[in-house]
Amino acid sequence: MPRFYFDVFDGETTTVDRIGLDLDNDLEQVRDLAIDALPDIAREKLPNGDRAEFTVTVRDEAGFDIFRAILSFRAEWIGRTKG
Amino acid sequence: MFERLIAGLERRDELSDIEKAIIEGFRFRVQSFDDGQELVAEGSRPSESCLVLTGFTARAQFLSDGARQISAVHVPGDFVDLHCFLLKTMDHSIVAIRQCTAAYIPHSSLREAIAASPHLGRLFWLATLIDAAIQRAWISSIGRRTPAQHIGHLLCELHERLDLLGLVKDGSFEFPPTQTDISDMVGLSLVHVNRTIQELRAKGLVAWSSRVVTIPDLARLKRFADFDPSYLNLVKEPR
Repeated sequence: MPRFYFDVFDGETTTVDRIGLDLDNDLEQVRDLAIDALPDIAREKLPNGDRAEFTVTVRDEAGFDIFRAILSFRAEWIGRTKG
Repeated sequence: MFERLIAGLERRDELSDIEKAIIEGFRFRVQSFDDGQELVAEGSRPSESCLVLTGFTARAQFLSDGARQISAVHVPGDFVDLHCFLLKTMDHSIVAIRQCTAAYIPHSSLREAIAASPHLGRLFWLATLIDAAIQRAWISSIGRRTPAQHIGHLLCELHERLDLLGLVKDGSFEFPPTQTDISDMVGLSLVHVNRTIQELRAKGLVAWSSRVVTIPDLARLKRFADFDPSYLNLVKEPR
């Protein structure tokens, strides 16, 4: 069963996956798992600043990046509510 | 056969020799299970209660889309479905986490034990109340703890529960779930569980290799996870 590695950038630091997950060679599942992690990361890290980008990058066993999912966050005051 | 059940009860109250003899005299049959097999099925109406002898089991509910939530982990000496002695119909399944063995004790045997010793009846009631207390703690973790605190809290809880059974050696204990099992316990995505375990390792709070968890500094992990063991009722007093 091939192993895939999910590196996570939480807006501040990158956690390089040294454990990996053994998955059937089902790229749809790889994609879903990477995307599924983003709301968990955002929930843990927000609110922290006005801008953030959360990224999950998937590596295959050979070490090649094969997929990336990015969640962007932006918060801003609008109009004249704040000088 | 039932020394771990007796050890768990004696951690919370005195048992008389007669009460211990009643437990040791339970009728039972033993069955072994492989990873993921059901010990007790949702929707069934068991006529016996199931006691874990070796290994770990999980209380699981399955949603119609196939998603699974684990609401409790049971360790050796735990009755996993004592509540079904009265509730009759299982509203969830009990599944094996890797290999485990269990003893099935007929409800008639429990009924006779409770009639002979109402005190034993109260202690079985206590066991179901502690199950409920653990579930409240899990709900607080799911709702309010950070993922790292949540998994840390779970490991502190298992440490306390296994320690009283003599299953912790130098801060290490066997805990064999897959990352998917952990994901179903804590309600987090698989990738986030993977990342959180690595965060706990990097902080030096937990070492987790293959099936063995090591907690190098329990007091530090307890502080980190905001763990207060009161809910486990590890106090010996008349009940």
